[in-house]
Formats: sequence, structure tokens, C-alpha cells
Amino acid sequence: MIPISYWRNRRSYTALMGSRCRACGAEYFPPVRVCRKCKSRDIEPREMPRKGTLITYTKLTEPAEEFGKQTPVYLGLIELSNGVKLVSTLADVSESELNEGAPVSMVIRRWTEEGPTGIIYYGYKFKVDAAYSMS
Amino acid sequence: MNRVFIRSVGLVPVGEHWEKGLADLMYEAASNALLAAPGIKPDKIIVGNMFSGYAEHQEQLGSLLASTLGMAGVSAIKVEAACGSGGVAVHEGYLSIKSGEYENVLVVGVEKMKDMGTGKATKALSMAESAEYTQVAGASFISLNALLSKVYMAHYGRKDEEMASFPVIAHRNGVTAAHAQFRKEITVKDVLSSAIIADPIRLLSSPPAGDGAAAVLLSSKGGEVEVLASEVATNQFIFQERENLLDFMASRIASSRAVAKAGIGVSMIDFMEVHDAFPVVAALALESIGISKPGMAPIDAMNGRFNCDGELPIGTFGGLKARGHPVGATGAYQVAEAYLQLSGGAGKNQIGGAKIGLTHNVGGIDSTCAVHVLRSAI
Ligand SMILES: [Zn+2]
Repeated sequence: MIPISYWRNRRSYTALMGSRCRACGAEYFPPVRVCRKCKSRDIEPREMPRKGTLITYTKLTEPAEEFGKQTPVYLGLIELSNGVKLVSTLADVSESELNEGAPVSMVIRRWTEEGPTGIIYYGYKFKVDAAYSMS
Repeated sequence: MNRVFIRSVGLVPVGEHWEKGLADLMYEAASNALLAAPGIKPDKIIVGNMFSGYAEHQEQLGSLLASTLGMAGVSAIKVEAACGSGGVAVHEGYLSIKSGEYENVLVVGVEKMKDMGTGKATKALSMAESAEYTQVAGASFISLNALLSKVYMAHYGRKDEEMASFPVIAHRNGVTAAHAQFRKEITVKDVLSSAIIADPIRLLSSPPAGDGAAAVLLSSKGGEVEVLASEVATNQFIFQERENLLDFMASRIASSRAVAKAGIGVSMIDFMEVHDAFPVVAALALESIGISKPGMAPIDAMNGRFNCDGELPIGTFGGLKARGHPVGATGAYQVAEAYLQLSGGAGKNQIGGAKIGLTHNVGGIDSTCAVHVLRSAI
């Protein structure tokens, strides 16, 4: 992690700040400068919904080195309730719950840390909703 | 406009070159090509490479290679497009000659991977993807390909044993390839019983890390192989932003343009070097080029269509899986291998009667794609 880059993008990492096109209403995460659909540059910040469904996931046994302590990393492909897709680490995983279409919600969790005395970086992860887990 | 020919090529066997650094690898490949073309003096050098700065703390590879060859003074640059760096470097060499500004261009793809440990190499490869929005969230390059594999397999109902046909073909072709990293056959069972890295991707369905360099000497003055077309295209940079994750748009655009500009039909292609980094990438490549129907490439592979004695051989020297995938060098290896096939120099891997070949090299997950169509000029 690059500390100043983390700070610069903190709203996206902690509040799913993306974009909305004022011309056609399309929403995006991560934020965009030009609308993919209508090419408008009239773009405003927009927080994404914090709920969605799991499209699919993978269990990663060889993550990049800064995530080594979290091995295995469960990585999900998620469709938010507004249709925007994102890739996120999954939290509090019980593999039997990771079904296609499982409802998921955003939580704030530890991403990476710079040693025992360095910066701890927090950001979004997604977890399967408790109600679904119970059922 | 000038026509562009391949005069000669030079290959370093892909593998663990503990005794050789970046300059040594580039020098060896370049020297092999230059010695095979006496009297040809490059007036431009283009190096394709992905992460020499991160892996070896070395940039400015163009000037480094020029001086290493005793050619300081010559025009030289490095180009980068992740795993597509080699193909894009050949593309820039093609344009340099096509424009009429240069007569002989030495293109070298190089990567030094083995000095890094696995964790650092995984980080290096992930740099193909968004640093701000993909790497930070814990996604490695392989894990994104794993998600793509799952989406593909769920959408088309494909099974692990069907997907595993691609590494099996690659390893079979690597057995007799002198420059291949792995020269050992494997079975579908071997693939499916190898360690899982990010399900459904296993050790034997992902490319090995290796050091390597390949040189291609392009010339306007003739050669045994002509580059009929060279195209580069892009897809939406962040994979998950794509409306249809299964549309390899860059591959589709680059290949259709290249085939059209070459003035051929897809059915006239005798063999292909496709970017078979993972089974799903090979499948989507073949489908986006128009070789297989959507969802059917693994079935075609299983039925022998892409074997060396099949209708359309792919990865004729082992592809990324068995020849190896020294990331930024891979696209240059592909073009050099196509030259060997089209000049009758492929030895035991020779595809009989090969007249037209296509190379397909991608950076990231189809974020950049470079396609070349080459024809025998013998
Ligand atoms: Zn718009």
C-alpha cells in the first residue's frame, strides 16, 4: 500500500464512493471521469449501495505478499443492488454459505498493515448476511 | 508503404537462469538473431518488458541493450503492456518499418522473474491490474482469472476436465521444443490432482515463472517470413467493470482487424500461437478470434482440433504453459515461433505445409491485445 494513495482514495475504500453520470444516470465503482455509456464528462460522486449478491468466489492460497497473513484469501465477485460489479475480499467466511446469489453486505475490515508499529489500512470487505447464514 | 519481413530470430530457452541477468538474457537472444543475419545492422531497438524496474531495479532497457551490443548511438526504447509487452514491442517495430523511418528493427522481449520469491512475483504480476482499486482489495492476477474461469464455466456449463485439455496440449507440444521450460507430457488427471492456487486454477493449469528473452529482427529488405498485419486493441481496463465479462473485446477487435488487413480469412490460418496463460484465456481467445463457437473451445480442444496433427494447431512449441511465460517476453517468443514454423525451421515441432500463422498475446485479462498475421515468403 502507498500511504498517500490510500489517503487520497479513502472515501472509496471506506464508503464505496463511486460516480454517477448526471447525463444518463449510470453509476460506477470505482469512480470514473468519463461515462462509459454516454461519454458525458458531467460526473458526480455517488456512494454505492452497501448490499449486493455474490456472483462467484475463489479461494486464494497464494496471495500477493502483503496479504500473506490472511491466507487463504476468499475473493468474491459481487453485484451490488444497483447492478455495479466489484471484486472484494470476503470476511468471516464459512464456505458452505458462499453460494451464487447469497446476499452480502459491506463491512469495514483490516486490509493490510505495515508491521507491528506501522500504519494499519482499513477498507471494505463483504460478508454473507446473518439472516442467510442462519437459514 | 514498406513491407515488413522477419529476417531472423533468437531464442533463449525459458527457465531458471541464475547465472544470467537482464542484460545477459537480452544479449543472448539478440546475438542469436544478429548472427543469423550477417550484414544487417539495426537502426532501431525496441525492448518489450513488464517489470524490470520492480524485479531487478533496472529501467531504460533500450539504451542498456544498445550499449551491451556495442551499438550506443542507435535509437532504442522499452515498451510495456504487462504480459502483452512482447507483442506490443513487435507491433511498434512493425510500425517503425511501415512508416519508412527505419529499415531494420531489432525487437527483444525479456523478463527476469526467478530472482523474486513467489510472493513478490505474485505482486509484480498483479501490477497489470488497477493499483488503486484491484490490488488493494487483495486480488492477485491469478485470482481474477479464477473468477473469470468460474463465470465462464457456470455460463457455458463447462467442466474442469474439459478446461484441462489446454495444458495437456501445451505440454505435449513442449516435449520436443528445445527452448521450452517444461518438456514433459501431462494428463488431464495430473492437472486435476495438482495443487489448487485459486480454484478452479491449479498449479498445472497456470503458467510457470521463468526467465527468458526472445529476439525478432524485422527488416524492410526481405526475409523468409512477411508480417502481413499487426494490430493492438484494448478492453475496459478494470475487468469487473466490463458489462459482459466473457467478451474479450481487445482480442476480438485486434484479431478481426488483423485478419482483414492481411486480406485472408480465418479458415486460411494454418496454426496459432494463442495466449494460453490459463485455460479460460485460451478458450476466450479462440472464441473471440472466431475459431470456436462461444463456450465450445474446451470441447474442440478435447476433441483434438488444436493438436499438432489437428485442424488448427495451437501453442506449437508448448505455449505459455510448457514453453513458459516470461511475462514481457512471451509475445516475442510467439512471433519467433511463428517464424520458425513458416520458414521450415521448427524441427520436430514442424507443422507440415504451414503458410499462414497468427499470434495472439494479451496484457492483463485482455486489457491489451496484440495480434500478428504472418505468411511464409519462401
Ligand atoms: Zn452517462
